[in-house]
Amino acid sequence: MSFFGFGPSADIEIVLDGQDSRKTAEIKTEDGKKEKHLLYYDGETVAGKVNVTMKKAGSKMEHQGIKIEFIGQIELYYDRGNHHEFTSLVKELARPGEITGNTSYGFEFQQVEKPYESYTGANVRLRYFLRVTIVKRLSDSVKEQDIIVHTLSQYPEMNSSIKMEVGIEDCLHIEFEYNKSKYHLKDVIVGKIYFLLVRIKIKHMEIQIIKRESTGTGPNTYNENETIAKYEIMDGAPVRGESIPIRLFLSGYELTPTMRDINKKFSVRYYLNLVLVDEEERRYFKQQEITIFRRADKARRAAVAGEKRQTHHSMQHHKEAAPPPSLKPSEDNSDSQ
Amino acid sequence: MPSTPQLSPQEEQEKLLEEGISIVKNQSFQMKRCLDKGKLMDGLKHASTMLGELRTSLLSPKSYYELYMAISDELRHLELYLCDEFQKGRKVADLYELVQYAGNIVPRLYLLITVGVVYIKSNELSRKDILKDLVEMCRGVQHPLRGLFLRNYLLTCTKNVLPDTEEELATNDYEYGTVMDSIDFILLNFSEMNKLWVRMQHQGHTRDRNKREQERRELRILVGTNLVRLSQLECIDMEKYKKVVLPAVLEQVVSCRDPIAQEYLMECIIQVFPDDFHLQTLNPFLKACAELHESVNVKNIIIALVDRLAQFAQNEEGSGIPPEIQLFDIFSDQISQVIQNRPDMPPEDIVALQVALINLALKCYPDKVDFVDKVLETTEDIFNRLNLDHLEYGSPVSKELMRLMKIPVDSYNNILTVLELSHFGPIFDYFDYQSRKLMCSYLINNVLENDTRIPTQDQVDNILNIVNVLVQDQSDQPAEPDDPEDFAEEQVLMGRFIHLLQAEDPNQQYLILNTARKHFGGGGDKRIKFTLPPIVFAAYRLAMRYKEAKEEDENWEKKCQKIFQFCHQTVGALIKADMAEMPLRLFLQGALTAGEIEFENHETVAYEFMSQAFSLYEDEISDSKAQLAAITLIIGTLEQMSCFGDENHEPLRTQCALAASKLLKKPDQCRGVCTCSHLFWSGRSASQEGELQDSKRVSDCLKKGVKIANQCMDSSVQVQLFVELLNHYIYYYEKGNDQVTIQVLNQLIAKIKETLPNLEANEETEQINKHFQNTVEHLKLRRDGSETEGPSYEELVL
Repeated sequence: MSFFGFGPSADIEIVLDGQDSRKTAEIKTEDGKKEKHLLYYDGETVAGKVNVTMKKAGSKMEHQGIKIEFIGQIELYYDRGNHHEFTSLVKELARPGEITGNTSYGFEFQQVEKPYESYTGANVRLRYFLRVTIVKRLSDSVKEQDIIVHTLSQYPEMNSSIKMEVGIEDCLHIEFEYNKSKYHLKDVIVGKIYFLLVRIKIKHMEIQIIKRESTGTGPNTYNENETIAKYEIMDGAPVRGESIPIRLFLSGYELTPTMRDINKKFSVRYYLNLVLVDEEERRYFKQQEITIFRRADKARRAAVAGEKRQTHHSMQHHKEAAPPPSLKPSEDNSDSQ
Repeated sequence: MPSTPQLSPQEEQEKLLEEGISIVKNQSFQMKRCLDKGKLMDGLKHASTMLGELRTSLLSPKSYYELYMAISDELRHLELYLCDEFQKGRKVADLYELVQYAGNIVPRLYLLITVGVVYIKSNELSRKDILKDLVEMCRGVQHPLRGLFLRNYLLTCTKNVLPDTEEELATNDYEYGTVMDSIDFILLNFSEMNKLWVRMQHQGHTRDRNKREQERRELRILVGTNLVRLSQLECIDMEKYKKVVLPAVLEQVVSCRDPIAQEYLMECIIQVFPDDFHLQTLNPFLKACAELHESVNVKNIIIALVDRLAQFAQNEEGSGIPPEIQLFDIFSDQISQVIQNRPDMPPEDIVALQVALINLALKCYPDKVDFVDKVLETTEDIFNRLNLDHLEYGSPVSKELMRLMKIPVDSYNNILTVLELSHFGPIFDYFDYQSRKLMCSYLINNVLENDTRIPTQDQVDNILNIVNVLVQDQSDQPAEPDDPEDFAEEQVLMGRFIHLLQAEDPNQQYLILNTARKHFGGGGDKRIKFTLPPIVFAAYRLAMRYKEAKEEDENWEKKCQKIFQFCHQTVGALIKADMAEMPLRLFLQGALTAGEIEFENHETVAYEFMSQAFSLYEDEISDSKAQLAAITLIIGTLEQMSCFGDENHEPLRTQCALAASKLLKKPDQCRGVCTCSHLFWSGRSASQEGELQDSKRVSDCLKKGVKIANQCMDSSVQVQLFVELLNHYIYYYEKGNDQVTIQVLNQLIAKIKETLPNLEANEETEQINKHFQNTVEHLKLRRDGSETEGPSYEELVL
């Protein structure tokens, strides 16, 4: 995004090193379009050149100095005036003076910390960009250039399966198991549902991936739920003893890594929602949080023999408020749409 | 889809199906177009939309089947396209994963199967793993109808790609799999399909039960195809069948507790797998039969198996039943187990099982009579235990039991073999009167049709005990007498049967007749008239046999005497039953026979028999027609006999003449004396050589006849008698009786010619006239003939 001031003006161009060879990534903009930018990881140096080109050849431009900033900020849509910068680095490119011709300035932010992943959500945006400012008396000339940051995670040392028995007394008892609790973005969720007791006529069963974006804190927390995936895993009514396989490939869906309490401003969490619908369209569901992470392309593929954690929950014993502690019958279909 | 109320359910189905098919056509058209342009992803999208039609719950199984067929045709197109692409080396990476993004499970799994098979055919990935994955993933469809068709699609698509080798074939880096993998694959698919199929039974309203069961029957082939597929795997040998395949299949069949499934699948097993497999696995199979749901018609299953094996045993190309397999014992034990496990089994089904067993015994072990007997024994025990008797005629169990009893009869076609079955006879006691009669008639008919001779006394005794219902009155017979025609028919059967009681040895034959006499003697007046005469005749025949073989037996004369005593007594029994004509004839026959045999005292015996006939004639026969017939027979008999000396012959022939002249009606008298005349001509006496040829007495008889004829009032009868007399005269004239002259003939002819025209013209006159004309014609021929022998006819006036 560029910003043009008045008076004798110049075009500012930020050329990052390796522009043609560096990987790029896509990100959604607020209006839903997709933009492509260069991709950086945490600790990588961001370096390049700033080219200032006079619009009229031979003209001169006085300035109070030229600087470049590297900014990471969180924008909450409901609070447009306040951007929360969590990273801000500045380099001076030129002292106050006069530019007489086309000039080029090199810059380098060495091994910049980029703690968070670029993100565009429903109520919040986290972005990284470079901003060149030519300070002038009347209005500054400014040029911004976005980059995209991906945060990489090692394969988690602990990645136990999610196994749980839930039910409604004398009505429906199921045991479900997802093979892991942490999945990378291209991962496959493998699992199964085992029916221990079925006294209702189930019509079908699906797995949903729900993304919950929370912004704000305390009483001002906004939650935005989005169903990323709806995936039917069973058609028809099973009987006691049936075991239904689950296999859901994640790479086809638009997922981001799980983000917890990013700079105390927002979180993005993912839940697997198992939904059973009976013949009277009543829905029974159980949500289970999973962690999604971004795996380095050549990450060490450690086979993790996660310690099996077996937790038995039931409607009575589970005291958590949300997500629903047990398979919860509900008449409203809002969560699925 | 909304339904308009005026549509009948069938019309609605048609409409729904039509709509579905048209979507399928449209989508498949677009799918093909995309594929032609190389737009695979778009093609798959259309395929998926098309497959979405199979998610419907509105179609009946029949309509769903049609939709399924239409769609699977189109999917074949997709499969061919993908195979082609793979062959050209244009591999689509991750296709197997890609199709799994379809949100709905039914289209997703159809696509997965289609792609999976393409991978298999192109040797991408491990065949074994793909098969395992596909069959596991199909668990996601739990809706019975949709699940059944999905799994059927899986089975159809994988038909030719199932590994069928003992050892792993190393192809590429991927595991190909062995026949064991195919077995696991099919067995899992089979049990899942069966579960779905069974589940259909428990869905919906109870009032639709019949419809539901009908629908289930329509779908059964889908489940059965699994077994067919198993049977097509060449690497399944006896060992694998016995250890792996059959136990798993039976486990599923037994545990599903569903009668329709059990009945169908058990028969399926019998039909699809080879007989030699069955032979080696009879015990587990039959044991499973015993564990089936109580409303399963186990009988049909076992019968089907027995029939197969019996056929197998008879098949000439086959190796037959291996001797180490005790086929009969196995079936026998297991069937009794089945019966024991099912206290509520209707007795007719129990008997039907015995029918199967007896068929097996007869077809597989035709020489083992004791097997058949064992079945009968078991049957008897069962009836005993169930406290069943007097099985009502026409009831299912009575019908089945009859079927059972007829099998050895028909199969041996020899009652003597049947008699070796010690439990055959006792079972007759369990029938009611009516059934018993039918069975007995059946048995006796079989003897007659096969012309089976019964050679020993014991056997006769045995048979007559079995068919007692036809021999004597029964304690359980209804108060109302049997239909006379039916009764007569049965008794005629018995009469014919008696003629088949034939021993090689005459002494044995005598014992046989005695036994028969004892049995039939108790049959009551109505029966003995049918049964004793054949015994008497058989006895006369036996006496002749002694005569023919007299050199071999020095006691033959005494034995003959005994026989005649036996006959005398037997005929006496008939007389006691108020019969006269039959005993009279039997006496005459006896007299003839005795006269011919010439044993010691034979003349006395013959005389006794003749005199018995006379006294019957005199005391018992009162009807004039019967009298004439009887006296004619007596005369004829005496005329035939030559054993009497004069002292016996004289009174007999005189008695005959007397009796004849004492007949009531004049025409009868006339005819009687005329017949009697022959006694004096061709009769023989032991006292002199040759015929008596007593011309005087002959002439006297004839004259008496003429006199009597003259006394007749009815001129028509009179002429008739004259014509007959003329014939007698001519006979004697020709024979050279000197008392008969040509004048006598002329007189008679003149008399006839005179009277004949005065007769009223009618049919009777016509006949008399014809008789006369023929007689005259005969005389003319004689007169004009060139023969020189015989008396002269020169003076004959015609």
